[in-house]
Amino acid sequence: MASSASTWTSPPTRPPLIEELVSGVDRYNPSNVNILEDYLYHQIRSQEYDCLANLAILKLYQFNPELYNPDVVINILIKALTSAPFPDFSLCISLLDERPAALAAAANADEPDPLPQLQPVLARLHALLQQCCFPQFWALYRGDDVEALRDNYTVECVGFEDAVREVAVRAVKAAFTSIGRARLGSYLALDGPELDAYVAKLGWTSDASTGVITVPPNPDNQITSTVVQENIQLPRKSSLISCSS
Amino acid sequence: MAQQRKVWEADMDEDLQDVDLSLAIGPYAQSGNYDDAQSTIDEAALLVMQQQMVQQAAFAQIPDVVKRFIAHFHQAVLDNNLAEITVAYESGWNRLTEKYYAKTEWPEAEVIAPLVNDDQIFLILYRELYYRHVYSRLSPDIDDRFHSYENSCELFNYLLNSDGPVALELPEQWLWDIIDEFIYQFQSFCVWRSKVKSKTEEELSLLSEGSQVWSSYSVLNVLYSLIQKSKINEHLVALQEGKSAEEIAEIVGEYGTRPLYKLLGYFSVIGLLRVHSLLGDFTLALKVMESVELNQKAPFTRVTACHVTTYYYVGFCYIMLRRYPDAIRAFVSILNFILRMRQYHTRSYQYDQINKTADRMYALFAICNALSPTRVDDNISNIVKERYGEQFTKMSRGEEGIPAFEELFLYACPKFIAANPPPYDDAEALRAFFDEPPQEPAQRHLALFIAEVRAQAPVPTLRSFLKLYTSLDAAKLANFLDADEEEMVQQLMVMKQASRSVSRVENEKGLLEGQMISTSDLDFVINDNMVHIAESTVGRRYAGWFIRNTEHAQRVLDNLRNAPLPIAPKVAAPSQPADAAAKGPEATPAAPPARTGGKKVAWGSAQAA
Repeated sequence: MASSASTWTSPPTRPPLIEELVSGVDRYNPSNVNILEDYLYHQIRSQEYDCLANLAILKLYQFNPELYNPDVVINILIKALTSAPFPDFSLCISLLDERPAALAAAANADEPDPLPQLQPVLARLHALLQQCCFPQFWALYRGDDVEALRDNYTVECVGFEDAVREVAVRAVKAAFTSIGRARLGSYLALDGPELDAYVAKLGWTSDASTGVITVPPNPDNQITSTVVQENIQLPRKSSLISCSS
Repeated sequence: MAQQRKVWEADMDEDLQDVDLSLAIGPYAQSGNYDDAQSTIDEAALLVMQQQMVQQAAFAQIPDVVKRFIAHFHQAVLDNNLAEITVAYESGWNRLTEKYYAKTEWPEAEVIAPLVNDDQIFLILYRELYYRHVYSRLSPDIDDRFHSYENSCELFNYLLNSDGPVALELPEQWLWDIIDEFIYQFQSFCVWRSKVKSKTEEELSLLSEGSQVWSSYSVLNVLYSLIQKSKINEHLVALQEGKSAEEIAEIVGEYGTRPLYKLLGYFSVIGLLRVHSLLGDFTLALKVMESVELNQKAPFTRVTACHVTTYYYVGFCYIMLRRYPDAIRAFVSILNFILRMRQYHTRSYQYDQINKTADRMYALFAICNALSPTRVDDNISNIVKERYGEQFTKMSRGEEGIPAFEELFLYACPKFIAANPPPYDDAEALRAFFDEPPQEPAQRHLALFIAEVRAQAPVPTLRSFLKLYTSLDAAKLANFLDADEEEMVQQLMVMKQASRSVSRVENEKGLLEGQMISTSDLDFVINDNMVHIAESTVGRRYAGWFIRNTEHAQRVLDNLRNAPLPIAPKVAAPSQPADAAAKGPEATPAAPPARTGGKKVAWGSAQAA
């Protein structure tokens, strides 16, 4: 897991113009929505992620319902999905004010809004990632229910599957010192040479004879029993002592 | 009118509280003044006159003591006399409300205008109090809601768009109340607006005009304008950088140096925190607080209600960001503060409000502690056990505790609002809205929160098993849990994630910053098929022990000193000093040998540590 929140609050890849929008009052100006939307599509293409900038788009949609663009919202949710176990997905949903069905129908009479249909699917995928049910995630993701999402959206999102794998890797890294090859394969939806290559890229070592993969030590998978000791210096008690004398 | 003014001006010097005397003076009869003229004037003038007569009749109804109070209040505001304004604001107004206006409105501003020479600024301030009273004691109708908005706008317009900073000064508490009330009325309006069912024709037609009254943008605009005018963020940063008073004055300019603007700016930052929380933008809510340091050592203001609000919303936002340790820290810090302040606040008119918020924070604290069990402050956790013990026990049991989570969350969460009105301007859409109202904002946030809780539901059971072992075969553990091994391994990964959280580290700037920390005393790791467990325990706590015994020794010593010299019976006398002497040295590290039994062991290891 990322050790510091600062890469989340201001990713190093964020351009100065976006930083200005995210941190200033210009974030409320509806005419800036295009800049932020373009930046989202840039993230989609280049495997970058900037949660705060995407939340700024949703904020503009919240205040200006006429700006609402379902494709943008779905892409934001897809990006947020792979930040699990961090709550980005919920933070995004929080900003999606309920759109009365009648309004949505009126606004998009020719082209039905895909979000009402896709949002529950995304929520299910998110719940599986949140509960570390990685094999189930892949089964659902590759199944028929998610076809519309896959064909129209995630396919455009460069590195989406690898981003999901990173979620699994984060969870495995924290909980395991070694893991069975088959189990890891089911988490990553990889097997054979692909899995070997992926494991090698991570720098993990694989024992071919036992089929066990060793996860290198990191702060989360090294456990120690400790006794927490109070550490209070005598001078802090000096007032007490002096008033007792 | 002129003669009448003299009458009460003569009374002006009398004590405000001298109610009986003023009642004896009685109301003024004046409706007869215009009788003769009536036949000779046209209808428009007649209307004006009738209105005047109504107003004069209303004026006549005002008890003298209230008239004197208003005149006195006005004078205090004219003089910028903070002490007098404070007395009038905090005690006079409330006392007269209890006595005369517990169930009705205060006299309208137009009616009391003659008392204050038609001073428009004072009338705006008066209306601010007038509407606040309507909102808190009575039920505001649509006119009250629209007019209170207009009045707030006039006030802010006066403060922000006059030529240069205005000379007005108001007490800290009032300034806080102005911002607090402004946001409360906004929230109240949004909630009222979202209820389509109970609207009258007149209300529907007013709402369908889709005006900017109480729009989110207009509210944010006010808050941001106050922040920018006062340069409060620059001010706070400069303070943190240790700049001198002159340097700061230079930075914040002619507005920011005035207490009125400085405080309104600061309160507006807290206001933004609140508005963004109400709208469900928890990240932005904490982001706008970037330059505020949460630290009671150097409070920027002494308004208790402001502290309480700040910590409540900050704590709540941290919960929604799943940063439970940060939320716990915020709640513990403010709840202890409230406990300490209690003795000074029992009679304050805000005491009830503060207590209610505190109670909600105890509930939120219980939620956090159930999701992220940690060793916490004894004071606070004892009170939580007292108030929410039942719910806490349920919440610590996973899945079956979910109704308890729901109950406490709905009780303690902010009153969420929808950013946009129902489609009042479109009759057809409105009917659809009416038939099928969307989910309420609070329910939406609850659902998201419960999804998070549910993901974490297996953790308490796992935890209770793991606590019993130092290592354990995964298949065996799965067997205990009546789950298949793969499912159990997934739950273990969830447990691992639940035991890690982003948390602010000492002195980190900005409330969103933080580092990943471990929050649990129980840790484990899976080595292929074996689960290894390690537990952190707390060593004996010496400091509290040391303090208790020091105090005990002090009491014994005091008793000894105050005791009369032992003269009488030879049997009893020597035993008491001997006993005391044995206890006396306990506290001083120099004399451990005097101790006996189990405590001696503890003491010995204390020296070793």
